[in-house]
Amino acid sequence: MDEYALGVLTNVGLFSFLALSAYLLLVAGEMSFGQQAFFGVGAYAAGIGTAMWGWPLPVAALAAMALGAAAAWLVGLPTLRLRGLYFAMATLAAAEMFRILFELFHYQRTIDGELVGPDGTQGFRGIRWVLERGIEQETFLAAVWALVLLVLGAFALVERTRLGATLRMVGEDPELAAVLGVNVARVKLGVAAAAGALAALGGALYAHHNTYVEPRNFDIMLGVHSLAYALIGGLGTALGPLLGVALDIGLLESTRVFQGYRMIVFGGLVALLLIVRPRGLLDELTVNRVAAALRRRRTA
Amino acid sequence: MSEAVLEISDVVTAYGKIEALKGVTLSVARGSITCLLGPNGAGKTTLMMTASGILRPRRGSIRFGGAEIAGRAPHDIVARGIALVPENRLVFPHMTVTENLAAGAYQRDDKGAIAEDIARLFTRFPNLKERAAQDAGTLSGGEQQMLAVARALMSRPKLLLMDEPSLGLAPLIVEEIFRIIAELNRDGTTIFLVEQNAHMALKVAHHFYLIEQGRVTFSGSPGALAEDEVIRRAYLGSVRH
Amino acid sequence: MLVDLLQNTLDGLMLGSAYALLALGFTLIFGVLRRANLAYGPAIMLGAYAATWVHLQFHPGVLVLAAVTIAGATLAGAYVERLCFAPHGRRGAGDAGAIASMVGSFALWMQLEEAATLWLPKHLYGFPPLYDGPPLGLGPLTLRVEYLAMLVCATLVCFGLHRLLNRTRFGLAVRAVVDQADAARLAGINVPRVFMLVFALASALGGLAGYLIVAAHEQVTPMLGMWSTLKGMIAMMLGGLGSLPGAVVGGLALGLIESHSQWLFGPQYRDLIAFLILFALLAVRPSGLWAMLRRSPAPAP
Repeated sequence: MDEYALGVLTNVGLFSFLALSAYLLLVAGEMSFGQQAFFGVGAYAAGIGTAMWGWPLPVAALAAMALGAAAAWLVGLPTLRLRGLYFAMATLAAAEMFRILFELFHYQRTIDGELVGPDGTQGFRGIRWVLERGIEQETFLAAVWALVLLVLGAFALVERTRLGATLRMVGEDPELAAVLGVNVARVKLGVAAAAGALAALGGALYAHHNTYVEPRNFDIMLGVHSLAYALIGGLGTALGPLLGVALDIGLLESTRVFQGYRMIVFGGLVALLLIVRPRGLLDELTVNRVAAALRRRRTA
Repeated sequence: MSEAVLEISDVVTAYGKIEALKGVTLSVARGSITCLLGPNGAGKTTLMMTASGILRPRRGSIRFGGAEIAGRAPHDIVARGIALVPENRLVFPHMTVTENLAAGAYQRDDKGAIAEDIARLFTRFPNLKERAAQDAGTLSGGEQQMLAVARALMSRPKLLLMDEPSLGLAPLIVEEIFRIIAELNRDGTTIFLVEQNAHMALKVAHHFYLIEQGRVTFSGSPGALAEDEVIRRAYLGSVRH
Repeated sequence: MLVDLLQNTLDGLMLGSAYALLALGFTLIFGVLRRANLAYGPAIMLGAYAATWVHLQFHPGVLVLAAVTIAGATLAGAYVERLCFAPHGRRGAGDAGAIASMVGSFALWMQLEEAATLWLPKHLYGFPPLYDGPPLGLGPLTLRVEYLAMLVCATLVCFGLHRLLNRTRFGLAVRAVVDQADAARLAGINVPRVFMLVFALASALGGLAGYLIVAAHEQVTPMLGMWSTLKGMIAMMLGGLGSLPGAVVGGLALGLIESHSQWLFGPQYRDLIAFLILFALLAVRPSGLWAMLRRSPAPAP
């Protein structure tokens, strides 16, 4: 497979983590413009782990996820009682604060005669753990997608359990959930932490794919895009956000047909699509219909 | 029999999959007070909302003065001469009484006549005049009902729709409302009224319909209504009127 | 020291006026249609780019450029309204409609931004200033004329909006729709048309703000789109969601916060502090500064 295609597929996988992170919060009824902050936290944390402290990537990634969860928990604690645009703006403010803190963060060490580490607005170079071990692009791609599938599997499992139903109820009718004895605040915090961990995992892998990250990578555009991927793909299934990512990065960015006009086409298509499908492509209604049709075929 | 000003034929209105109106047919004669009785959830408010254009029927026809109005926008229907006094009054709570009335005349250009109408309504509803500069949200239930009626009248409608005007009001005020209904009708307004309170309606209405579970199940005069055992027991109690 | 404080306060109020104008436009859409328009800034940017193009071709006067900016922003806004807001604005569209409109406006944000940068591809274009002379002196303080123009325009717009909303039939219709939309329908008000006209007004106000800003900075960049939306949203949130006086208070507050933070801590910390204050405010008093000033209890957002 040629290098360009490999790159595109890897990017689709990496940004899926972000889109899934936004999706998770959406299912719990909150719209976040700020998941990119935890993507960034994961990137920096994992980078520091492998490039500066000599940790293996899996360990660094786990640490990154923990940090992402903690950061998301901290942001969520004072804000999760907000709804709608209030919460969205709070997450945007928090994410921008993180980004500016990345711009102010200097932590460097000399390793093998070279200065390595986050250098404020100059970014963080030298995250070469993957390269140094001679791991091929295809292997990395496979690893990324294996993890994506693992996450999807976990989502699918949870959907079938009471936890999944509780989550969706908290998202759709929190008053009803509260009346039925659900601790809505705690559930939302838990979801926020999980979403933070997910985004951080994506960030950790992203940093090691690019070997270089800078604060500018984790700006508002990334956050709004992630949210949009989830909303366009549809909230009926975790495949929805993946579809959103695939459509933007996979289809449009890579096809040179639309060179230079990509956003004009994508933007127009999305606006039109939403008129026909206001709840996204794979919305709850569609998913239910497909599931019912599949069930019928099975019993027929 | 005077001609029908409003003809509703086989109207079906649904909320998602649930059909609230399952094929309603009735007509309102010009110059009459026609009353639609029915229990809660029977579809009375849905019918009023459909006739006024707030809801779109899935099927069926609504003709007003011969023209088809089903599915038309609410402002279009107001322009044709129908005004609805909605259930729960729906005043503009943060606007003054006078502004509420002015809003009712939104489609009119004739400033002089509008001012006259407001003055006339203040004469008819003196407690509204007292509160002319007050925010409508601070009015009592009865006053808000008067305001809702007055606002509907500001558009000089040919047909006045009223959705449960007596709901939640003290008996004295209810009597006042029905006195006004009778007066308006004498002055030439056709009134199509939805009620749960059959006692008062019997005193003023010329024709009755009964709606149950989205369908019209009775059509007749007040006498016929009072005679019917089943209806009497359900809506009038066991005391004969 | 005191002179610095006064100068920063003055600058902050001027800058805040531009933010207030941006916030007014954004708030009109949020307050009346109850929707967030993420394409607000990009529409303004398109207007500014149109004016830049006209400037490059014809070098007309200030009034023409201002008119082109406003017209461009209004037209772009009308396009956004028709495609993203009208289809999802029907009665009963509810939260799903609000989200669909927002995502649609995000899509058009991308579209309009790309269209603008395809039209004028450079990263920076010079823009003729509003006033080509030295700043005015006010004792020990300096007053830039462009900034004064912002303050004057913002004040005029406030008065104008107040008159429009409280003394005209259209204003009555707008207030009625905001107060009780169904009652407005029943009173014969054409609600979709009110939405469309309010959107146009908001876009025009954004265009005016955009013109004043690019004329003050004497440059136009592709960042103008997101920057305008962001400042408008932040100011609206600071002041109190959906309230017009709140938008003004929020805009002025943002201007003051930025100018004092920049003076005290430097440009990097300026935005950090603004976001910190916004975050803290949302965490504690989401109803905003305006509600705080009027000492009303915090409603559930």
